[in-house]
Amino acid sequence: MSSLPVTSGLHFSLLTPPSARFGPRLGTVVFKRPGCTTDQPFVTIPTPGLLTATSRGVVPHLSRDHHRKTQAIKWVHIPFETFLEHNPPVPTLQTGKTPLHTFLGFNPGQHLLSMSARDLYDGREMPPNGKDHVSVYSLRGVRKLSPAQWRSYVYSVKPDIVMALSDTPFTDPPYSQKRLTKSIERSFAWLLNVLCSLSEPEKSTLLKEEPHYKPTVLVHMSGMTSIPARRAFADSLLEPLFGPEAEQVKHIKYLDEGVSGYSFDLVPLRLSLDAAEKKSIDAMSPPSSLPSPAETPDPTTTALDVEASLSQLNLDSTIPPHIEQILPLLKTSLERLPTTKPRIVNSTQTPHETLRLISSVGIDLFDAHWAQRASDIGVSLDFVFPAPQGEGRKDLGHNLYHDKYTYDFSPLASSFRGAIDTEFTKPICQCLACSPSVPPTRLYHGVDEESYSGEPVMPLSSTPRYKPSFTRAYLHHLLHTHEMSAHSLLVMHNISILDAFFSSIRKLLSEKPESWDAEVKRFIEAYDEDMVVLDEARVSWKEVELARGKGRLAREKAKQDEGTLGTAVELE
Amino acid sequence: MQFEVIAKCHTTKARVSRMTLAHGVTMLPTFMPVATQAAIKGLTPEQVESLGVTLILNNTYHLNLRPGLKVLNEAGGAHKFQGWHRNLLTDSGGFQLVSLSKFTTITEEGALFASPFTGEPTMLTPEESISIQHTIGADIIMQLDDVVSSLTTGPRVGEAMERSVRWLDRCITQHERSGKKDTQNLFAIVQGGLDPELRDRCLEEMIKRRDGVAGYAIGGLSGGEEKDTFWRVIKQCTDKLPEERPRYSMGIGFAEDLVVCVALGVDMADCVFPTRTARFGVALTHKGPLNLKLSKHSKDLRPIDESCPCPTCTDGTSRAILHHNVTHETAAAHAITLHNIVFQAQVMGRGRAAIVEGAFPDYLRTFFANYFGDVGYPEWCVNALRSVGVDLLENTDAKIIPGSGAKWEYSNAAGN
Repeated sequence: MSSLPVTSGLHFSLLTPPSARFGPRLGTVVFKRPGCTTDQPFVTIPTPGLLTATSRGVVPHLSRDHHRKTQAIKWVHIPFETFLEHNPPVPTLQTGKTPLHTFLGFNPGQHLLSMSARDLYDGREMPPNGKDHVSVYSLRGVRKLSPAQWRSYVYSVKPDIVMALSDTPFTDPPYSQKRLTKSIERSFAWLLNVLCSLSEPEKSTLLKEEPHYKPTVLVHMSGMTSIPARRAFADSLLEPLFGPEAEQVKHIKYLDEGVSGYSFDLVPLRLSLDAAEKKSIDAMSPPSSLPSPAETPDPTTTALDVEASLSQLNLDSTIPPHIEQILPLLKTSLERLPTTKPRIVNSTQTPHETLRLISSVGIDLFDAHWAQRASDIGVSLDFVFPAPQGEGRKDLGHNLYHDKYTYDFSPLASSFRGAIDTEFTKPICQCLACSPSVPPTRLYHGVDEESYSGEPVMPLSSTPRYKPSFTRAYLHHLLHTHEMSAHSLLVMHNISILDAFFSSIRKLLSEKPESWDAEVKRFIEAYDEDMVVLDEARVSWKEVELARGKGRLAREKAKQDEGTLGTAVELE
Repeated sequence: MQFEVIAKCHTTKARVSRMTLAHGVTMLPTFMPVATQAAIKGLTPEQVESLGVTLILNNTYHLNLRPGLKVLNEAGGAHKFQGWHRNLLTDSGGFQLVSLSKFTTITEEGALFASPFTGEPTMLTPEESISIQHTIGADIIMQLDDVVSSLTTGPRVGEAMERSVRWLDRCITQHERSGKKDTQNLFAIVQGGLDPELRDRCLEEMIKRRDGVAGYAIGGLSGGEEKDTFWRVIKQCTDKLPEERPRYSMGIGFAEDLVVCVALGVDMADCVFPTRTARFGVALTHKGPLNLKLSKHSKDLRPIDESCPCPTCTDGTSRAILHHNVTHETAAAHAITLHNIVFQAQVMGRGRAAIVEGAFPDYLRTFFANYFGDVGYPEWCVNALRSVGVDLLENTDAKIIPGSGAKWEYSNAAGN
């Protein structure tokens, strides 16, 4: 790169200025940390690209060495609400120049951390937000988070990027026009609040160790599913500030000047669209008596009940996508805003949606949540863009619980190879499941050095010594024996496959942009968008969970009490 | 197997040895983490190797059920199946048959049990146990023994001991004719319950068969017996067992048990304790266990142990973030598991270093002062170490506590 930005913060550059406001685009996010003197002051992320989701501050299933060794993990998003279990939130006690990185074990030279108040994938019904608070969820119950608290937490933990608080209702939809008006007014006021400069006393406490810190602010585009409300919110960002509002943010003339990018959360939109749709169906047909949900889970649940009991689980049984209705909503928000800022979408459910959002809106960054969740239920992703020629309709991955993998000693994806494999026509999947390598160093604990063991000293080598890939048969075994290692390996793999998907998207956009539309169409036809494989995996996951997960002993005992043959296999 | 004792403690019976197996060298004494179903809970084999672990354990009973021998055979053995390139030990499957299945009946032919898949009566003979272990391909394999709980009394204990000797003969015969003797090593398991006479008879018979076995395990303990009985049985065995064979104490994992056993001449031990307790949020330290579930750790930004070389501690992972995630996110279990495995390795590694330096008695004193100084030394440890010439109470006014003395952080009160 010839010209690195000199000012700190997020810099987004479009490689090819898009000819239109909407449509696929190639860009680069460069983040420069304030006053950074380390070797790698910049984190660079080419777009379209991905951001990694976290839960309670960790990438689920990954130890710190694993999240660092997964090259695809660069931009990591942290929902903050779980930390509100303590007052003050514990991360705010951490000191240093990058407290959030330090507290959670992310590397400032490698990872860009963004932070939002709420978990962006949590669509549970919540108490209403207030004039001066957002209702947030923590294990100790619902908490009220005020914009002032949010600002102070942001300045304390110093994430690279922050999502301004947004008044997104999670009460029972649909929402009245009055509610939506309130929503956009509050979201406006709360954005203004986080953009305010710090007072001198605030500076002396919050910025003691890093006087140059200033959060990069993203705004969630409010207005829910109402076109006029979305337009009104977007327009308000461009309106010149005056009076007391202008006094609070002297460094900018209108709010958009202080905003570095636009974000869109699909969960509330889908919930709202779904509620509206159900309402119109209900209006047409008389209400039928629905079976009441089971009060207590039956300990002797059999495979047949599995599907029914799945709905009780917080396992994102897919909300209908409503993507065709969502596209115009997103475009409305972006109609008049500058095209030079990154656009982020959270909670896509399929790569098909991703392609549509790139095609018709020109979204730059997408979260990897769906791919990460696939790892939870034993699915190894296996897809490429452009789709392979011929071959009929394919699944996006493999439900490794399936018995057909018992003797399958091939790597996790057929479209990729491990670094050690010699099928050179396939691209390498760099994840630690497909391309594991001998650790370059090891710990010694006393009289186990090579001078005692007589083993050859491991040569210091800059190139990794690769090992054979982990096999589907091994993962199948780990899943059925309820071993956590399965999920660690699958998370690393699935994020890497998704990263390769984005990298192929960028390649096509830069080398053959004219074939984009045709390739999108071909991909959508080639891969099963309903993702039946995920549904099947969810059922298998649940079966093993019932057989081997928490509460298993109680269920087994109940089974034995019934007089069935119980061999009481304790699998620990 | 090549087994060489390279240093001995001048006072106790502790020793350092080099054990060379088909998958590399393991320096003894060592603790073996347990990968019951071909994975150390939540970790990858590369992570385990990077911790400096050179020998892990798989359970035959479990692997025989899943993935099954056909899969292991096609995979080319358990090493390849799980991507573990270092040494591996398998048990015989007998212990789990008795502890996990309530319908198991022992006959002279073998153990008769209900198949967990079909409920059909199934027989595990000594020959079959060995041949299953041959398929798994571990570097060290164990004889099938007739296991009784250490709390059993009466003629059953003697019967089980005698049968274990007879089964050892059948295991040796099976192993000899397999042609696997170059790559796999058979260990005998000394039985005899808590009865010194039975133990002596078993030792005598099994030592006679030393040419057919590469090492000896001490079985039938860690089943809830008095600690004072436990160490006496260990000592009785290590006193008699041949110098030139490794000695493996089965199911031992508390730090104080490990150091005492090493002082009594034990070379190897295994236990699920450090990895299991990690999942419940307990981190092991040289000052005793820390229960990270307790709210007293919720705002503590220190790592588990500032001087610990494990990835979790060197990375500065705070007790606060572990408290935040433990039992909610598997990642916290992984972090503590990495730490606890290193802690066990450190306890053994420091022991080895001290033996080589001729300072093992000092190591014992330091260990107990750090670990138990605040609450008092377990009486049985004091007695056990006195029997090998180390007086823990020399130059200290430490308290003595009766009972097992196992240390645990139960509450938020005081402490570390």
